[in-house]
Amino acid sequence: MQESAYFSQYNPIKGVWDEMYGENNIRDHYSKVIDYLSRESAEDLARKEELAKRLFMSQGITFTVYSSGEGIEKIFPFDIIPRIITVDEWAFVEKGIKQRLNALNLFLKDVYNNQFIVKDGIVPIDIIYSCPHFLREMYQLEVPYDIYVHIAGIDLIRDHDGTFYVLEDNLRTPSGVSYMLENREITKRLFPDLLPQCCVRSVTEYPNILYKNLLSLSPRQISNPTIVLLSPGIYNSAYFEHTTLARLMGVELVEGRDLVVKNQKVYMKTTVGLQQVDVIYRRVDDDYLDPLVFNPSSILGVAGIMGAYRTGNVAIVNAIGNGVADDKAVYAYVPEMIKYYLNEEPILKNVPTFQLSNIDERQYVFGNINKMVVKKTNGSGGYGMLMGHASTDEEIDDYKKEILKDPRNFIAQPTISLSAAPCYMQGGLHPRRIDLRPYALCGPEGIEIVPGGLTRVALKEGSLVVNSSQGGGSKDTWVLA
Amino acid sequence: MPEFKIQHLTKYTYPAPVRDSANQIILYPIQDDYQEVIKQEIHISGDPVIDTFIDYYGNKVGSFTYSEPHSTLLINSKILVQTKYRPLPGNDIFPAQQWQDLEKLRYMVPFIDFLRLEYFDGFDDLKALVEAEKSKDDTPYQAVLRFSRYVYDNFQYIKGVTSVETTMDEIWKLKAGVCQDFAHILTLMLRLVGIPARYVSGYICTHHSATMRGEGATHAWAEAYIPDYGWLGIDPTNNCIANEAHIRLAVGRNFSDCSPVKGVYKGASDHRLDVSVAVGYEDDTPSMHQPGEFIEAPEHKPMTTFPKNSYQRYMEMLQQQQQQQQ
Repeated sequence: MQESAYFSQYNPIKGVWDEMYGENNIRDHYSKVIDYLSRESAEDLARKEELAKRLFMSQGITFTVYSSGEGIEKIFPFDIIPRIITVDEWAFVEKGIKQRLNALNLFLKDVYNNQFIVKDGIVPIDIIYSCPHFLREMYQLEVPYDIYVHIAGIDLIRDHDGTFYVLEDNLRTPSGVSYMLENREITKRLFPDLLPQCCVRSVTEYPNILYKNLLSLSPRQISNPTIVLLSPGIYNSAYFEHTTLARLMGVELVEGRDLVVKNQKVYMKTTVGLQQVDVIYRRVDDDYLDPLVFNPSSILGVAGIMGAYRTGNVAIVNAIGNGVADDKAVYAYVPEMIKYYLNEEPILKNVPTFQLSNIDERQYVFGNINKMVVKKTNGSGGYGMLMGHASTDEEIDDYKKEILKDPRNFIAQPTISLSAAPCYMQGGLHPRRIDLRPYALCGPEGIEIVPGGLTRVALKEGSLVVNSSQGGGSKDTWVLA
Repeated sequence: MPEFKIQHLTKYTYPAPVRDSANQIILYPIQDDYQEVIKQEIHISGDPVIDTFIDYYGNKVGSFTYSEPHSTLLINSKILVQTKYRPLPGNDIFPAQQWQDLEKLRYMVPFIDFLRLEYFDGFDDLKALVEAEKSKDDTPYQAVLRFSRYVYDNFQYIKGVTSVETTMDEIWKLKAGVCQDFAHILTLMLRLVGIPARYVSGYICTHHSATMRGEGATHAWAEAYIPDYGWLGIDPTNNCIANEAHIRLAVGRNFSDCSPVKGVYKGASDHRLDVSVAVGYEDDTPSMHQPGEFIEAPEHKPMTTFPKNSYQRYMEMLQQQQQQQQ
């Protein structure tokens, strides 16, 4: 193949799986893209990058960083070079996620009903009952089709040999899918001929599948059920996503104050009176959903909505109480769940996880903290975690004190070296660390995963943190046909 | 078999009409071998439909909404209930055996919930105290009695110094409170030595001339799990066994699992809450408290109160909206 200027300057990171570069050559599935890029002049690429930035800005594709204080609304940094996944890799990932989700759904059904898995001693009871997201209000509450996880954003990473690992199961309010959709739209404008040439599978079906699933959950058998997307409001980091999804599905975008509960039914206030709501795709945390039952100081919720949910007059997506399944202490037991419920060997691997409530494991972690990542069991967004290798002694000591206050709230994992993919920066290609979040949709007809996902990039050289809230960016994710 | 007629009135008065209220009531006496509800009527102003369900702890819970503007909300519960004296635990099993039996319950449902400890500033003091207080050859039953006596002797019964939001830290510093605080501290002490303990809400029905703490309003006490016996009611506010004169409404981990009446509404954040509980007996001796004679109940204020100041309310909303998405 043609030796490209970009390729010859590319310096893969030692000991790290590179998505593009393998065994002293460009991997086959990247060759078409690199060929194409080498035909473009440096000015052309710079122009494309500039165009991408403007498109993001003019279309308001933004997210909010809370800690920065100023300006707060930012465009999500976008790298123009796509991340490419082969047919085989995707088939593996798809199969693995479906298996995992099936088991997690069965686990939620079980833990809120018979608790077989606890009685058989597979998952320690203490971990369940001490999880703040194990909601006793969900006990024996029937949910439509026994589906708890309607939307999952399972985070995958690849170790130095390219093995896929699950890093987190996000089963409550996974976000980022709008960036998957928008990134593709931008790529269509940047490289219009490249997508068909490379046989890239489409992701545009996502809102249609989600809408179809939401429709099927309607408790009322009517031709035109009312579906709403419940957002915390305009100050939420993912508000752009809430508006995008509502628009693409053609459903109402509401806040808690737009809804009211009357006799166990949820109504939306409209200019022509109250309209009964059948399905709620909520992006509000459990704790804020119903001030009557959960956090009484919530202004975002709808008082009495839990009663409507319990009586089956409204469907809520994702189900309430899912946090017990994506708790990072429970995560360690997912491979066991797969064996227990499905009688199958787990396809996707788990990252080894140390429970800090266990004294022996805690001692080990404290002794080897330089090789560890310590996380809060109920945190997300990369907030409040400790990267042992990149922290000062003082930071580590402070964090240890924090851990000892309530060890149940922390887990530790060995630092996994994320795979790298080429990014266009400073006029050339440079490897940066990436992860992958495919979006799985679970409906009465089964689990569907649109071929693609959100690839997040740690834009800083050497960084392993890809969270958008921590200075990460994203790439378009191509799954080849 | 004593029979009691109970009338429990709860009245919310708002300075200006409020609307869209959603409420939850746990006012249905538990039915079991020692307590039988012969008749119960619940009337709520505005006649809303009450939907009932059984919660995780087995309590019957009612929920209702009231959308139209209203300036008062009156919940009137009339109960005719019969109770039976329950014999007390015997002393025929070796203490060591009983403590061992309790140890086995540690990781079992439902006991795991009733053994969970909460940490507060005085935790270590309380732990030391409990260890010192417990005598070496005590049976769990004897430990229960001893701890109840301790709470009764060392905490002052003063109305109005605490509320449902008072934390363990504050109670510990004050060394005073009302029935719910006494029950709270006793459950914690029992859990510290490995005796499963739960919170109970209900009514106290004393006989004729005798007066007891907790009359005229809803009462609260604790239940301790005694091996080979079951749940034993213990009332630290009166330092007595809760038996046929204590009517149980609900059990749970703490007050908020059992809160008899709570609600959320839209409108003025100020409101006044009055509660009255009147008890009549099988021989028709009237209670000291006449029906409708309200006792202002500052300790029950479960309604959501938002900051009155609109700026602060706006800032609070802003803060809440920024919840992290996964």
